[in-house]
Amino acid sequence: MASREATRQAIVEAGYACLARYGAERMSVEDVAQAAGISRATMYRYFPGGRDELLLEVVRYEYHQFFLRLYDAVKDCETLEEVIERGLLVGHRAIEEHEVLQMMLRVEPAALESALLVESAPTRAQVADFLLVYLERHELADGVDPRAAASYLARLVLSYMQAPGQWDLSNPDEVARLVRSELLAGIVPPASLTVRQI
Amino acid sequence: MTATAVPALRVVGDDEVEGSAPPRSKRVQIVDGALRCIARQGVKKTTVEEIARESSMSRATLYRVFPGGRDEVLQAVVDTELARFFSNVAVALGTAATLEDVIVAGIHRAGSLLLDSGALAALIDEDAWSVLRHAMLDDLDHTISVASAFAEPFFGRFLEPDGARRGAELVVRVVLSYLIDPDEAVDIRDEESVRTFVRAFVLPGVEALRTDDGDER
Repeated sequence: MASREATRQAIVEAGYACLARYGAERMSVEDVAQAAGISRATMYRYFPGGRDELLLEVVRYEYHQFFLRLYDAVKDCETLEEVIERGLLVGHRAIEEHEVLQMMLRVEPAALESALLVESAPTRAQVADFLLVYLERHELADGVDPRAAASYLARLVLSYMQAPGQWDLSNPDEVARLVRSELLAGIVPPASLTVRQI
Repeated sequence: MTATAVPALRVVGDDEVEGSAPPRSKRVQIVDGALRCIARQGVKKTTVEEIARESSMSRATLYRVFPGGRDEVLQAVVDTELARFFSNVAVALGTAATLEDVIVAGIHRAGSLLLDSGALAALIDEDAWSVLRHAMLDDLDHTISVASAFAEPFFGRFLEPDGARRGAELVVRVVLSYLIDPDEAVDIRDEESVRTFVRAFVLPGVEALRTDDGDER
């Protein structure tokens, strides 16, 4: 018999499949239970809040997965500029290609939005912690506090990933310009920046 | 979470000015009356009857001016408050003497107005702020593009068009980020705190957008 954790995982994955297929509005508990091969009753034992609770869980799970993949893609980068450039390129591409994530980030009902908002502060803190390591290794401009710089960078990286605005984040040259101007110009001495590596 | 009767955040376009609109003064009277009701008792408890009474007119007259009733009045209140917000920010940006001042004014004025504006906040009741955040985040790209287009001309006094466009957008992102997720290190209600932050991170970033050719200081 499957462990409790495995069943829960199977439900979340079925929830994801149904969300992708039907959208948040039309996804039903019955569909998910069927896709997961369990009864409605079992489903409610795992998610007493029903559809809404499951939706939140799917969003959290996918959000988490997104950052895991992002981390995987950038963890071997050497320098601060390289890690941010690659992070923006990969994160942007992943969001563009990831239909469900895009739906979650852009046009979902308030319930999903609030799940993402709840996650936004911890996410920012995690991204900042990750960048802090790179900041501490890099030559910094006079008087720059690495923690404050990490928070500023994390906020902007997340902002650009969610909504690229006027920047073409699929173009490595534009990404390099963005990183070397708006993001890093106040943080590192210009002469310390390496040439674009991606 | 309130799912109903949350006016949408939008900017009024030319196409929405009806040719057969009743005299403007009645609209103003009703919007002001609604604002007073909302400030006193919040949105949820504000009814059409009360708005009409507060505006010293009959319900019938109110419906003639706003056939959509309560929702339409609330939308007009949101539009009015947004216009007030943007003109307030425009004054701050327009009187700034340097690029640094434009950036500081943009972050400080827009941030404190959005955080403290009684009307904008009361407008959407207890979860005012969360609902406003949803409205803004619902379509982040759209919010960023509308706000950046508004701010861009003020940056254009100091930068070439490309830099002005991108610089304005950066400042909009900063405001949104610090509103949604406040930071211990930067108090956007405090001008000096904002200035220190701008000098350290934002201004150098915008300055670096200048291209080698064509941009004069």
